[in-house]
Amino acid sequence: MKTSLRLLPLLLLFVLCGCYRILPSNGGGQGSIRTEARPINPDDIALPAGYSAEAVATGLTFPTAVAFDEQGRLHVLEAGYSYGEVFLEPKLLRVEPGGSLTTVATGIKNGPWTGVTFHNGNFYVAEGGEMLGGKILRISPDGNITSLIEDLPTMGDHHTNGPVIGADGMLYFSLGTATNSGVVGPDNYDYGWLERYPDFHDIPCQDIVLVGRNYTSNLPPEPKSEEHVTGAYSPYGAATTPGQVIEGRIPCSGAVLRMLPEGGAPPELVAWGFRNPFGLAFSPAGQLYVSDNGYDVRGSRPVWGTGDYLWEVEQGQWYGWPDYSGGLAFNGDRFAPPGEEPPQPILAQHPNKPPKPVATLGVHSSSNGLDFSRSDAFGFKGQVFVAQFGDLAPGVGKVLAPVGYKVLRVDVESGVVTEFAANEGKIVAPASKLKNGGFERPISVKFSPDGESLYVVDFGIMETGEGEDINPVVKTGVIWKITKTKPSL
Amino acid sequence: MKRCFLLSVGFFLLLMLSYCGTARRGVPMFDPVDIENQAVAQGEKVYMSYCQKCHPGGEAGLGPAINNKPLPGAMIKFQVRNGLGMMPAFKEEVIPDEELDNMVAYLKTLRKAKEE
Ligand code: HEC
Repeated sequence: MKTSLRLLPLLLLFVLCGCYRILPSNGGGQGSIRTEARPINPDDIALPAGYSAEAVATGLTFPTAVAFDEQGRLHVLEAGYSYGEVFLEPKLLRVEPGGSLTTVATGIKNGPWTGVTFHNGNFYVAEGGEMLGGKILRISPDGNITSLIEDLPTMGDHHTNGPVIGADGMLYFSLGTATNSGVVGPDNYDYGWLERYPDFHDIPCQDIVLVGRNYTSNLPPEPKSEEHVTGAYSPYGAATTPGQVIEGRIPCSGAVLRMLPEGGAPPELVAWGFRNPFGLAFSPAGQLYVSDNGYDVRGSRPVWGTGDYLWEVEQGQWYGWPDYSGGLAFNGDRFAPPGEEPPQPILAQHPNKPPKPVATLGVHSSSNGLDFSRSDAFGFKGQVFVAQFGDLAPGVGKVLAPVGYKVLRVDVESGVVTEFAANEGKIVAPASKLKNGGFERPISVKFSPDGESLYVVDFGIMETGEGEDINPVVKTGVIWKITKTKPSL
Repeated sequence: MKRCFLLSVGFFLLLMLSYCGTARRGVPMFDPVDIENQAVAQGEKVYMSYCQKCHPGGEAGLGPAINNKPLPGAMIKFQVRNGLGMMPAFKEEVIPDEELDNMVAYLKTLRKAKEE
């Protein structure tokens, strides 16, 4: 009795603080995932009172974005690439009334096509560039593809994203980083690209000075004794020295750039220090916002517990990658993975103190496409809607429950985040895990030209196993349309 | 010591039991969280800045759910200040006492949100 008496408070402490280390990861792609079919049932999506959802296109392979032409006709991109190293032909498709699909243009196996916008009679598409480097393409309504810029350095973990057109008439796009946190390592080999591009690495937008920290690793097929020493912003196996200067150039990694929509001139830097700025959107007042995917717990420099962020983009600013997360410096043990050393800074000087984020979003939520509501008919005018693809645990790190898999709305003034649409159930998870007919992985959102409907692009089923084992399922992508059926009180 | 024992047993049982209920609160599944109260509204912003990323909406994510267990305010505060386990601690310089009180008020309001 006496001992159990003393043990109980301990037990309580254990319940409080022992869970995370002991519990297994339970990401949305883990466990029993239904991959053989994708039933559709809009009633399985919880929406605010007065809204309803319907599926307007199904059977898509890796859809990433939608746009409307001048006649208001809905078009969708099929990415043509997915994590899990699936290379297919990317496509721009028109969704006919009734849901049948007409191919407008077919690209080469250099996806993923990550974003599309319609402007002055043409489609503008960001070609991710996993195989050959990123591009910005102009696609005419009859399907002619012209490349406006090529060789963007995005053959790594993250791709060329965007584009959106600003009030200044310029085309804004973004480039994700090559790596998780600045150092090429075995995780990049697992992703597949390090074998294709053994010398590829991150590129700063301005000259940077390194602390000279190096990381030792070896690649999976090699014996453990085969060690490589790699520094930041350097090819795999290239060590760096204290005070070493890495020359900046444009285009660069983790940046938002802009160019003339007709091409011809080199792109200009807007801002950098992002990791994977996937979603770009201008607010009704003309301010640019981006969503940024935070660090993963992988590779030679793993970082734990960092959120995804929504940023207001200010000209010329550096937003903190690879030494800050959400405006917080890597200067303590806060970002240390369980039982490991915390990440140490790799830059000897920082270009500026990074700004504060507009909103903080779930760790590993993969917060992606954005769009602002501009209409009272839909509601929440001035708020930004965010599509969350959902975690890729355990490859990106451990989570106790699925993170993301929903559409949020954010009040950009207060930073308050509210769930707008997510599957019914005790927890939010993809339909393939919950075994219902709702969302899998929302990747982008777009309001119709009249602002009255919100289109949600749902990438489809993606199962995740140990490490970088990722299994995306073709022909399971869906476009959902959400409308307000009852006026607000 | 006796009281401590009983309290511990009580908490322990409550914690164990409460792991069963859903941690979802607020729209769209539940009634909106009432943030009329200024302290609660400010507490929501504090929560959004420091906690949301690991406990989205008070549900589990990277960290465990906090909506579905009857954690007393003092225990929430203890956890925030000391960061037991893997959770980082947040000291007074980061979240002042008053903001922490407001955040706890917000969490309690959130927890009470009714199902639609
Ligand atoms: C970086 C991620 C992270 C952040 C930020 C964070 N937490 Fe936690 N929290 C955790 C983890 C992980 C645990 C579980 C600890 C363990 O098992 O090691 C936890 C546990 C808790 C618990 C105990 C839950 C239980 O099951 O008894 C409470 C209460 C809590 N957190 C509240 C908060 C509040 C309030 C904030 C904001 C001030 C916050 N947390 C910020 C990760 C985080």
